[in-house]
Amino acid sequence: MARLIRTEKEVEGRYEEVWTVVEEDALDQWPAGPLEVVGQPAQRQDGLQRARGEARYTADVRLPGMLHAAVLRSGVARADARAIDVLPALELPGVQAALSCEEVDFLDAEAGYPGAAVAAVAADTIEQARAGVEAIAVEWDESEPLLDPDEAIARGQLVSESSSYERGDLEAALAGADVVVEAEYRTQSVLHNSMETHQAVCHWEGDTLVVHISTQYIWGVRDELAEKLGLRPDDVRVVCEFMGGGFGAKNGAGDYSLIAAELSRRTGRPVRCALTRREENLAAGNRNATIQRLRAGARSDGTIVGLGGEFVNAVGWSGWLAGTDGPMQMLYGVDNVATMLRGAKLNSAPMAAFRAPGFVEGTFGLECLLDELGGKLGIDPLELRRRNHADADVLDGRPYSSKSLLECYRRAEPHWDRRHEVRARSDETWKHGVGLASQVWYGGGGPPSYAWVRVGSDGSMTVVTAMQDIGTGSRTAMAQIAAEELGVSLAQVRVELGDSARGPFASISAGSSTIPSMGPAVRSAAGDARRQILELAAQRWQKEQRTLSLKGGRIVCSDGGSWPLESLLGLLEDAQILGMGARGPNPTGMRVLTFGVQVAEVAVDVGTGEIRVGRIAAIHDVGRIINPLGARSQVEGGIIQALGHTLSEHRLLDPRTGTVLTQTLDAYKLPTIADVPEIVCEFVDEPDSHLTNLGAKGLGEPPIIPTAAAIANAIRDATGADVRSLPIDREEMLRALAALARAKERSGDRVAARPA
Amino acid sequence: MQLVRPSSVEEAVAALRGGAVALGGGTDLVPLLRDRIVEAETLVELHAAVPRGVRRCTPTSTSPSPSSARFWIGAGTPLAVLEAEPEIPTTLREACRLAASPQLRAMGTIGGNLLQATRCWYWRLKFPCWLHGGETCDAKEGQHREHAIFGNERCASAHPSDPAAALLALGARIRTDRRDLPLAELYRLPTDDDRSMTTLEPGELILELELPAAESSIYVKAMDRQRWAFALVGVAAARVGGETRIALAGVAPVPWLVSSPEELEQATPLPGTAYKLEIARALVQRALAQL
Ligand SMILES: Cc1cc2nc3c(=O)[nH]c(=O)nc-3n(C[C@H](O)[C@H](O)[C@H](O)COP(=O)(O)OP(=O)(O)OC[C@H]3O[C@@H](n4cnc5c(N)ncnc54)[C@H](O)[C@@H]3O)c2cc1C
Ligand code: SF4
Repeated sequence: MARLIRTEKEVEGRYEEVWTVVEEDALDQWPAGPLEVVGQPAQRQDGLQRARGEARYTADVRLPGMLHAAVLRSGVARADARAIDVLPALELPGVQAALSCEEVDFLDAEAGYPGAAVAAVAADTIEQARAGVEAIAVEWDESEPLLDPDEAIARGQLVSESSSYERGDLEAALAGADVVVEAEYRTQSVLHNSMETHQAVCHWEGDTLVVHISTQYIWGVRDELAEKLGLRPDDVRVVCEFMGGGFGAKNGAGDYSLIAAELSRRTGRPVRCALTRREENLAAGNRNATIQRLRAGARSDGTIVGLGGEFVNAVGWSGWLAGTDGPMQMLYGVDNVATMLRGAKLNSAPMAAFRAPGFVEGTFGLECLLDELGGKLGIDPLELRRRNHADADVLDGRPYSSKSLLECYRRAEPHWDRRHEVRARSDETWKHGVGLASQVWYGGGGPPSYAWVRVGSDGSMTVVTAMQDIGTGSRTAMAQIAAEELGVSLAQVRVELGDSARGPFASISAGSSTIPSMGPAVRSAAGDARRQILELAAQRWQKEQRTLSLKGGRIVCSDGGSWPLESLLGLLEDAQILGMGARGPNPTGMRVLTFGVQVAEVAVDVGTGEIRVGRIAAIHDVGRIINPLGARSQVEGGIIQALGHTLSEHRLLDPRTGTVLTQTLDAYKLPTIADVPEIVCEFVDEPDSHLTNLGAKGLGEPPIIPTAAAIANAIRDATGADVRSLPIDREEMLRALAALARAKERSGDRVAARPA
Repeated sequence: MQLVRPSSVEEAVAALRGGAVALGGGTDLVPLLRDRIVEAETLVELHAAVPRGVRRCTPTSTSPSPSSARFWIGAGTPLAVLEAEPEIPTTLREACRLAASPQLRAMGTIGGNLLQATRCWYWRLKFPCWLHGGETCDAKEGQHREHAIFGNERCASAHPSDPAAALLALGARIRTDRRDLPLAELYRLPTDDDRSMTTLEPGELILELELPAAESSIYVKAMDRQRWAFALVGVAAARVGGETRIALAGVAPVPWLVSSPEELEQATPLPGTAYKLEIARALVQRALAQL
């Protein structure tokens, strides 16, 4: 039965109280461990299609008569478009329409950052559209950009209200601590650089706006466009069948879809608006830089008594406050914690969610600080983390729905034990070391989400839901869940997704929520179909329904009889079995979180500052694993993305104009395959017994969270140097080594100066 | 834009009169054309006109080196060929292997590589900086972590070519359609009056390179990642005829010869490039130790 409840909804670490309709989750969880299909490694169902170039991405959509849009963007960090004249553009060959911030409100005359969109042109070819954009005359009112986050805070230029948190009495705790450490950590701004840039193709079919878009949230785009364009939500159809990555930057509709929709409305032709790689790196979101001023105090037995953090997020022109303070509040069982998080409003591009926003940054600071503390206490880093394990949620004492972090630590031991052997490889030039870091994140998903399962007389089983597969392989995972429930092979199940007109509502693919939100809905729909099949089977073979089950493509009776599924389904002819399913509620009064630990092995060339990461062992606890192969590739992808964040990626701005200097991929340095270390990946794979009919949590984000700190801690282990600023490029590494040498010299001097 | 495809040096030279631009593999030129940093009405494709390939040869009369074994390399030879050429000096082979990516090395020619434009982001983003004819060097006042530690008084850009440093350390010579000169004389530090970085005349074509066999040579390169990155510092060292020479990539607006490790102490690093000097010291020391 459907119920209306008031519940907490969480996306990317942001909680909201909402009314929501939920349906009971009637199915019991499967037993733990690998099953027939679920828990078995499965290749992607669309792998060949993708590899052969047959998969149709938004970037491949070419509609008859389609126009191309180009966008006029502000070239300077802070300027108001005082006057703007699009007429010269309209006179050029091929140009069909132009619009500017003077006529539509999704373009802004107050261009607060370089790359802000102020006008757009649609033309027969992209070259003509670009020529049109160049012809637009703009009078800019330029003013001095503000780019320094600390200065923005001092001037009170904030993007939103600051967020402060306190439990216990931090100052008293630090005053009473045996050891206190204090350090400033910094993280840089990095760019998502999805393979497929942000883009949309829009056209009108009568009053219906059809939007092909590279998105993480089909239904969010539908609602956002409907609202901004004054349409009924059902008059917007959103399609995204294949997608080339989003990493959080494609949660919203973006201005490009509005530009395409409006230009299409004006011209009566389909319009494509696709960002170039350079535009992508200017104006499509970024992980904001942070400054973290942190303190920690502990008793000599290793009990951490207090944690304090002053965090500044360099948010940019707009955006929200990602939870840089979250790990400090949530990861350890510490009684006295005080954090303050401020968001600096700057003349740089707006931030966007980027794979575990805030937690990646905050974990770097916190987990490095913990090792600094451990160093002073003389306590082994793994032991220190064990001693401060939180047994119940530290925010409000709720029980965890499940938590196997201690099991992760146990499994980390053999990797951690390698440190003696690894350190022994050091010579004059290369210093080797091992470091670790833990991780906490959300990833429980939530209602509502729906799926249907259609079973035809030919024995085909089709899952229908208007979700998106953002490249993570969720299509295959959904097929596995349905196949398991229906007792058929994976090959027998197809998944139809990616079209709001062809399936029920599905959740956003963000916040590691696709598997935990959609998976239970798919299982519930498959369960409904199974029940109906067994109802018919009971009638066909005159058995009691409770004695029947589906297994290995057969209807199996507890009395020993069994019949091929086709022998029943064949009777259906044009009739179909339609199963419906919904995501049940999250467990009330419990905290649903994901945990993990990573152990990194590095080598540092102390002469040139080169860092090589040799091996990363990742042990994560995300409940039941649906597809071990897909899960592994999430971990590998997360770690490789983290590697770039840790060592080489850096969105550099010109300090005077705010121009992004790293717009192209030769200047913005993503890791290459030659940089990728050996990645060892393990899962605890215990279903969360309180969470849905699957017990599965999300894995999209956890693996990117602890990597930077694990690497930085390994660098400290190898060299003794404190690297506190990302990226740890050669300059930062050599700076840290020089600081260490100076400190040693000073302490050497002091020792030498002591009276004999 | 027009593309002409001459099949001999003479035709190519003729086609280049009147402001046409030579097109090697296009890996640098095409992006510059697209960004309208280079403007051209006519492109002259060198593929069938400029020689390619590697040969052992006897010294030419102008060659000052006492060493007898020498190599001739056609300017149109792709880096991918040179990186796989077992005979040529290690420093050049390694410099090619560590440059760019396999795709770029398959297309990019050694002639084009020597003449590639600076990677300075201000210059590539068309800031009206000194090298573009403006007043000031934006990099010096702005973000310059990838920039120069030598010869940076006017323009602080860092020369991007690895092979150029290797060839400089080897004392290579180049032959153009009009002269024969040491590679060192191909490059010049730009001045207020003449901001070009090479001595090549308009329309002049590099046809071939000549270099000695080295008794020993090496190329080492510091990058921001393991592959596919320009040198933060590249160090080429070669011993030819008993004489050791060191040349650096990524440290000055042009490939930079240093007569001894001590000469590194005359560097003039910017605040953001001081770390490059440290790297250069370490790499020069290592290169010499391994020679
Ligand atoms: C992403 C990226 C990374 C790179 N990384 C590296 C690196 O790490 N190390 C490195 O050394 N290089 C690197 N390169 C540079 C690359 O090696 C050069 O672009 C390439 O070698 C140039 O050769 P080309 O034949 O393509 O030259 P083109 O692009 O065709 O020409 C370059 C210039 O030389 C002129 N020219 C070409 N041939 C002749 C000739 N025979 N006579 C006269 N003029 C001529 C052209 O007119 C033009 O001005 C990189 C390039 C890119 C794009
Ligand atoms: S380094 Fe040279 S190219 Fe770069 S901004 Fe300065 S003058 Fe211009």
